[in-house]
Amino acid sequence: MKRVGVIGGGSWGTSIANILGLNGFEALLYVRNPEQRQEINEEHQNSRYLRGFDLSPKVRAVETVEEAARNSKLIIMVVPTKVFRPVARELGEYVQGDQMILSASKGFELSTFKRMTQILREETCCRKIGALSGPNLAKEIMQGQPCATVVASRYEEVAQAGARVLHSSRCRVYLNDDLVGVEVGGAMKNIYAIAAGILSGLGLGANTQAMMVTRGLAEMRRVGQRLGAVKETFMGLAGIGDLMVTCGSALSRNFRVGLGLGKGQTLEEVLDSLGMVAEGVRTTKAVHLYAKQEKIYVPIAEAMHRVLHEGMAISEVVGDLMKRRARYEVDDIA
Amino acid sequence: MKPEDRERIVSDVVGRILDREMRLAADDPSRLEEVIAETIYHELARLKREKSTPETAKETATLKKLRGRLLRVSETEKRDILKGMIRRFVNEVLGNFSPRVYQLSTRVIPAGLSLLLNALSPKRMLSNLPHLPDFQEQIRLKGEIAQIRSLMDKGTLILTPTHSSNLDSLVVGYSLFALGLPPFVYGAGLNLFANPFLSFFMNNLGAYKVDRKKKAPLYKEVLKEYSTCSLELGYPNLFFPGGTRSRSGAVEQKLKLGLLGCGLRAYINNLRAGKAKPRVYIVPCTLSYEMVLEAETLVDDFLKEKGKNRYIITDDEFSRPRKVLNFIQSLFALDSHIEITFSTALDPLGNRVDMQGNSLDPKGRPIDLARFVHDLDGKPATSAQRDREYTRELGEAVAQAYLRDNVLMSTHLAAYATFSVLVEINDQLSLFKLLRTGGIYESVPVADVVSRLKSLLQVVEDLMARGRVRLDEDLDGLPAEDILALALKYFGSYYSGNPAIERKGNRLFARQMNLLYYYSNRLQGYGINSLLERRNEVGAP
Repeated sequence: MKRVGVIGGGSWGTSIANILGLNGFEALLYVRNPEQRQEINEEHQNSRYLRGFDLSPKVRAVETVEEAARNSKLIIMVVPTKVFRPVARELGEYVQGDQMILSASKGFELSTFKRMTQILREETCCRKIGALSGPNLAKEIMQGQPCATVVASRYEEVAQAGARVLHSSRCRVYLNDDLVGVEVGGAMKNIYAIAAGILSGLGLGANTQAMMVTRGLAEMRRVGQRLGAVKETFMGLAGIGDLMVTCGSALSRNFRVGLGLGKGQTLEEVLDSLGMVAEGVRTTKAVHLYAKQEKIYVPIAEAMHRVLHEGMAISEVVGDLMKRRARYEVDDIA
Repeated sequence: MKPEDRERIVSDVVGRILDREMRLAADDPSRLEEVIAETIYHELARLKREKSTPETAKETATLKKLRGRLLRVSETEKRDILKGMIRRFVNEVLGNFSPRVYQLSTRVIPAGLSLLLNALSPKRMLSNLPHLPDFQEQIRLKGEIAQIRSLMDKGTLILTPTHSSNLDSLVVGYSLFALGLPPFVYGAGLNLFANPFLSFFMNNLGAYKVDRKKKAPLYKEVLKEYSTCSLELGYPNLFFPGGTRSRSGAVEQKLKLGLLGCGLRAYINNLRAGKAKPRVYIVPCTLSYEMVLEAETLVDDFLKEKGKNRYIITDDEFSRPRKVLNFIQSLFALDSHIEITFSTALDPLGNRVDMQGNSLDPKGRPIDLARFVHDLDGKPATSAQRDREYTRELGEAVAQAYLRDNVLMSTHLAAYATFSVLVEINDQLSLFKLLRTGGIYESVPVADVVSRLKSLLQVVEDLMARGRVRLDEDLDGLPAEDILALALKYFGSYYSGNPAIERKGNRLFARQMNLLYYYSNRLQGYGINSLLERRNEVGAP
């Protein structure tokens, strides 16, 4: 395996391609925008998403999904969840049964609550499918800081292939066969990142944050277990690990969305100034719909839905959350 | 099966299992001893459970002697001991496999079955013609029959029916004959041979015997390798992936993957051997009965306390000739019928297959199946973990096909409607208590059941329109009242004296709550309960 296809040239896709390049693999990065493509191939930069970072010369931007996919044994999908299905459908035209696909996109399909790997299974012939997730802020990775990530698949060879191309002295790769848990963790943490941002924006301190993160983890786990996840996964990198980083760092997009809201900006204003996709907004809606249908108790996600999609005032929502009756903690945690 | 193929299968099965064990033993020096000791342990445990006879005593003594000797023998001797054990199992499995019988079976069984049914048939009076009766009315074949015919010469078939009754074997056997197909290699449980009344049919139909009391993993390996080898030689196979008759009456959703995986193994072996027709096709098929012969025993077993239920039942209705006769008589007298629906064929990974035998991806594009089993160098190879996952996905595809091609009949619908009304009016009882006690209220107004049945029919029609289930064609356009009347007739006749439900005046009385529950379970797996609820919420008429 020499060549890896990366579909999606945003900040995370570019960072993944760069890790692959540094590890000695040829990374074929599908980038839609021609100027961006030219910049990557000629100046080894992607200034729109990762200003000031040099990319490995082994990262090559390509014009079509076909080029990135055709001769790559491994393909990594890193496109926003909103366009995941159409891109996967196109990918389905070019792939064959011996190819492997990893999804690094985090979220659910809104209308169906399907996970990204389920969409890959429906839109392509491939069976060897997995997900890449974990506490991985693109900028810190580009700076070469040590990190760890999780490659999950029901197919051992997919997890092994992911580890083979991504593992380095700067990046530890852990394997997991609980694909559902890893994807649910990666998707749902974005809801709590927005909540954490709001709390920060309101000027609330560490006590409040710890409460939200801990109870948020319980919600993730409840949804995950309903979908067949293993609860231990939520204690790992793709669960609490990812939740910690995204709720605690101003580098996290979803956190920044919350921060703006907490400081009194409207959702439109915040999203405009971000210039990138914040998955948490859509994920909140998807979880709201699913939890309602399945009668799963997710008070924080519900509160976030009221703020993001029902126009309720933040102060009112926080007040409501705090007024709920006392419950036994172990009932939810154990 | 040709005699030379039989020889070849015996030597292939022994050779392959022995090779596999020797490879494992190369990494783990205690392996051979462990496998032998494990097999002795399981065999001794089985012998202890069985009724003691001079043969079992002799066998026990031999095994105990071997166990004592095991510590002193060399590795070469261990290899020979293991080889002997495998050979013994293979011979046992194939012991009753007579090539002559196999050739004859399609001719003999249907004729025998016909004679039997003819003798019972009330129509006998009408016609004393020498020709055998036609079962087109009683056993209706539906589904992708043209595809089966087309695939017969493009690869090797595995037929995987649902399993409700011991009569399934006869029904499937008849169907294969009616379709003009060759007999399928079929491993039948020993208990099916125990009944003298039907052992004649079983002997002919079941090409080989499976002793489900033998728990040794080595024995199971032999069975799997036997199926794999026969598939590789082009003999179509028949498996019941549910493993045993459905106890609850529901369409089975948890399948035994061990045997299902043989198709993939045979396919990869065929590719490696460069065979001209390497492909293996899995054809799920659904058997739907208006009445199930053994329903009472099966559901009783299902409702037993955990741990007390039985995997193998030998003393059921099937072992009582009068019951079987009564059942078959009812089948004729009531114009009742059995539907056997063949689903679209699948490849060993669970992909749909077209008429020409090409695998299709979920979007219907043709795919190159061989690539799915390539190793890193692009050569076909087995990979235990990957192949387990492929087989799991195949199992899911088979289970989905079962639900899609399940034919809902009057007894299922009426039982569901009645039972759901009963559950509602007994809302202070848990399901278990309701079934145990028969409920506080054991009768309901006919009008309530008819109204529930009407809603149910609309939900079922919606599901049908989306291709998620089938409805018995005889019920098409029939009003709810008539469907209920039909079901009451069936229940009243076969379960004469103690029907599941009985009408007295304007009320329906649940006489056998368990049976009601059993037949209603055929509608499980579609989320019908919540679909009915949703209809009520939106205030549908």
